[in-house]
Amino acid sequence: MIVVEWLQFIIGIGFLLTGLGVFVVQVFGVFKFDYVLNRMHAAAMGDTLGIGVSLVGLIILSGWNFTSLKMALIIVFLWNASPVSSHLIARLEAITNPRLERHCEVKEGVTEHVWDENQKEIIRTQKAEEEE
Amino acid sequence: MEHPWIFISILIILSILLFFCLIRAIKGPAIADRVVAVNMMGTIVMVIIAMLAVYMGEGYLLDICLIYAMISFLAVVVLTKVYSGVYLEKIATEKKRRQKEALSGKPEKTEEGGGRA
Repeated sequence: MIVVEWLQFIIGIGFLLTGLGVFVVQVFGVFKFDYVLNRMHAAAMGDTLGIGVSLVGLIILSGWNFTSLKMALIIVFLWNASPVSSHLIARLEAITNPRLERHCEVKEGVTEHVWDENQKEIIRTQKAEEEE
Repeated sequence: MEHPWIFISILIILSILLFFCLIRAIKGPAIADRVVAVNMMGTIVMVIIAMLAVYMGEGYLLDICLIYAMISFLAVVVLTKVYSGVYLEKIATEKKRRQKEALSGKPEKTEEGGGRA
């Protein structure tokens, strides 16, 4: 029984240290890259892999109870929420940066819709702004 | 917990990383940089709360962690929507002013449409 406890402790701490290493790599990458769309690559790694490995380590440490079920719920929620927020941040950057072509190749441009007070639609794309 | 110093040292390293994320959020040149940094800070704080819940043996801290995850996601959604909306509104006001100038034939001196957003 003491062997199982020690194994649980060692595996849990190992997972936790792996998650800590992923977080260190994430922060290092965010400082190393110099554009937002590159930085998001490093930031999303910690959002999914870092917190996933850390919480798996904490689940192993805490054992089989209701606490570990809540941690699994947090992992599942973050795996769903992190791609959505990354997509929204990339979309914000693609809309608000007028010189996106300097950093990456844009084929179609980003389409956004704006309505004025008469409900007339003003469609603006990255390409349309280029022609002006 | 038979070895509390491991938890304490991991918590200290995570708080140092949190400090670096804060530096990134202050330095970031674009708005998207700051939103990414705030998202990272949210993730690291979630790990800290979960580690505290296991370290102290208090299961209810995980509820706070889950609510923190949801509010952090909501903050990212709202911030991106607000900033892109403000930018597009500015572009649309500019476009409308230019159209009005082209319609009237000569540039008008008076500021119309409530000015810049």
